Amino acid sequence: MMKKNLLCGVLTFICLFLPAYAQTPSKGSAIQNGKPIVFFDWEGADFDLLKNTINFVDYAERADEAQINIQVTTREAESGNTEYTVSFIGQGDYEGDNDELKYSAAEDKPEIEKQKELAGLIKMSLMRYVGKTPISDRVSITFLDKVEPTDVEDKWNFWVFSLSADTFFSGEESYKSGMLNGSLSANRVTPELKIRMSFSAYIDDSRFKFEDQVIKSDSDSQTLSGLVVKSISEHWSVGGFFSATSSTYSNVKLALNPAPAIEYNAFPYSESTTHQLRFLYRLNYKSVRYREETIYEKTYENLWQQSLEIAFEVKKKWGTASASLDGSHYFHNFGKNRIRISGELSLRLFKGLDLNIYGRYSRIRDQLSLPREGLSVEEVLLRQKQLATSYQYSMSVGLSYTFGSLKSKVVNPRFGTGGRSISITM
Amino acid sequence: MRKEKVRKIFLSLLLGFCLVFVLSARFSFPQEKSSDIEEMKKTAPKVFIDCGICDIDHIRTEITFVNYVRDRKEADVHVLVTSLRTGAQGREYTLAFIGQNRFEGIDDTHKYFTESTDTEDEIREGMAKALKVGLMSYVAKTPIASRIRLSYSDVVEETASEDKWNYWVFTISGDGQLSGEESYKSKSLSGSFNASRVTPDLKISLSLYGSHYQENFDYDSTSLESTQDSLSLGGLVVKSISDHWSYGAYFDSGSSTFENIKFGLTFQPALEYNLFPYSQSTRRQLRFLYKIGFDSVRYREETIYYKMKETLWEQSLSITFDIKEKWGSISTTLSGSHYFHDVSFYRLTLFNILNIQVVKGLNFFAFGGGSRIHDQFSLVKGDISLDEVLLKRTQLATGYDYFGAVGLSFTFGSIFTNVVNPRFGSHGYGGMQIIID
Repeated sequence: MMKKNLLCGVLTFICLFLPAYAQTPSKGSAIQNGKPIVFFDWEGADFDLLKNTINFVDYAERADEAQINIQVTTREAESGNTEYTVSFIGQGDYEGDNDELKYSAAEDKPEIEKQKELAGLIKMSLMRYVGKTPISDRVSITFLDKVEPTDVEDKWNFWVFSLSADTFFSGEESYKSGMLNGSLSANRVTPELKIRMSFSAYIDDSRFKFEDQVIKSDSDSQTLSGLVVKSISEHWSVGGFFSATSSTYSNVKLALNPAPAIEYNAFPYSESTTHQLRFLYRLNYKSVRYREETIYEKTYENLWQQSLEIAFEVKKKWGTASASLDGSHYFHNFGKNRIRISGELSLRLFKGLDLNIYGRYSRIRDQLSLPREGLSVEEVLLRQKQLATSYQYSMSVGLSYTFGSLKSKVVNPRFGTGGRSISITM
Repeated sequence: MRKEKVRKIFLSLLLGFCLVFVLSARFSFPQEKSSDIEEMKKTAPKVFIDCGICDIDHIRTEITFVNYVRDRKEADVHVLVTSLRTGAQGREYTLAFIGQNRFEGIDDTHKYFTESTDTEDEIREGMAKALKVGLMSYVAKTPIASRIRLSYSDVVEETASEDKWNYWVFTISGDGQLSGEESYKSKSLSGSFNASRVTPDLKISLSLYGSHYQENFDYDSTSLESTQDSLSLGGLVVKSISDHWSYGAYFDSGSSTFENIKFGLTFQPALEYNLFPYSQSTRRQLRFLYKIGFDSVRYREETIYYKMKETLWEQSLSITFDIKEKWGSISTTLSGSHYFHDVSFYRLTLFNILNIQVVKGLNFFAFGGGSRIHDQFSLVKGDISLDEVLLKRTQLATGYDYFGAVGLSFTFGSIFTNVVNPRFGSHGYGGMQIIID
């Protein structure tokens, strides 16, 4: 029965679409194949100047041959300035795609200068049309000045405040869960100084019904955190972190952690989106009060710790790579330490073949907050509480090879794009 | 003891805030007299980039002749970026430039295509380029235009090669993952093969997917192993009839330990009507998709209906409404299905996402879904162990399921987001981002 169905299904599948497959897709419109054709309706225009300045269009002799009809009119303003109005009227493939530009030139400016400047503006405005043709790849746009991102009029002096609350819940007959999250933040980021402050609280509750019993699982945490970073040079920064946290997962009632820090970046910070190699040193003071007595028979303790993080990141044409090494130890007992190494690589080996590798390994000798009392099976299976361990690792390798008709730009949204997914980053 | 703690918190906080304000005051003094270019920068277009998938820091670093704002209502140009997958498994990005405030009524649309083999860096370079080109006609209307150089190099046209693959694209991929600590270990393996051919008239896709997932717990004297496997082969063919109508068929076969299925086969011819032209799909669609077909299943263990195998006919209708505008987006799907041999076996599902910004600074999102379930044919008759329940390794009997989320955020203060400051790393501090694909 099943085999027959399968055969029948596959056959129908093929037959249904065989004739359709033989057809070739339609060609793109003419607009895709070259330079836009323009016609200038401009009395007294210096066409040599125009053609020199705007060399990425074809010039039509008659308005009806053009794709863009450009009409330039002038008018003497009361101030004595010459006011130009340029109307771009799309025709044919650009029907309905219109634009208008105004330019006012000082009276004493020589005519040739006025036309030069106006031609420059028309050139920019034409990008509206050029951007829709393949020749836009051959255009390069550069800004001649270096400006400070803070050159704006800002009455808030770069402070941004935000309040947010969200909740997530789900369930079915034998399982229910809910989560509630709230946060406040105040940030001020300028090239010289970065200030971030936030408070967030989180509650999570889930219930499993199994036979006659109900297994409950709750966890909650609150965090107040702050960061201040002062820029010293293109390579050095100083600042400090501060956090106050409470968490059921890690058996912490309240932990206070101020930490002055200093950072050195081997590459200039301004190139950070391309590459960075940062060394971040922190001196931590930790004052912790536990929920339950720990395996070291403590209910509270005050400790000093230092840590160093080395982070490398590069994003280039061939792919993306990042690696980080971070280590810390407590001063009261150097044996209480932790080292973590991680790396990620996303590489195009050759056209079509992509390799993705991710790995992380931690050697852990500093689980000071483990509770003395053991955990229940449910707490273990639901990963509700941290467990004693001397290491943690995770890694993944992925390889994918794509070949075939890689230049196709066809989109076809019929029958949906195959399910929908929501990804949420917090 | 407690008092001491409170005092400590208070003192640290006070110290922190003092430091913050001293430092901020120190650096917020007005700078020396503004030069021309600084004045030009102040009047440059204010741009809001509405794009969850863009590398915003890269854009801010590359394009410095405009001002970036965090609230769409403040912007002169709102750039709304949407995307669709192309036949070659790349992406088609649609950049809708929406003029507001001083550019009210001046709208434009540009497209940017990526290929599946492009790296992140190539994609962000291309996106920045497309944005630059699209922004030019707005920038031309402001004084900063005089400081922009635009050049064009007329290189020899590369001859377009014949497409010997005739629009077919193939992908083979494999993934392996490992993670663990002393008392817990997990590993997973998966592999897939995809073949597709997408043209405006016809869409064909075929995929083969297999996965294995294993977890081991070791705690005190309890040790437990739990695995989940699945294998599937699926296909889809869609023929275009008009700008609003399409027909085609779905084909699926496979096995799953979660669903107690040894081997299942589904074949469903389908018909779809879209109220809006398909060409507007990334911005708006209202699709009605009707399917009719059969499920032929062989179970792993006997089901609660005492079956080891069965073949059932069913029909389903799903209605999808999506709209993405500058004020936000709405996305809703309602679907229902039932079996023919007994109409009381049915399922109804509603799925809804809402993300809107109505008032300056105030963002609201809600998403949620629920199902009325009356068609769990594959439930196992026997008992299920506690670990299978807690680890969600097997399907449980239920008459419904639901999930939902609601969030609200209010932001005020400075509207500008020109600055990129990567010092001490760029950790996420609060805030939530939702990407719907």
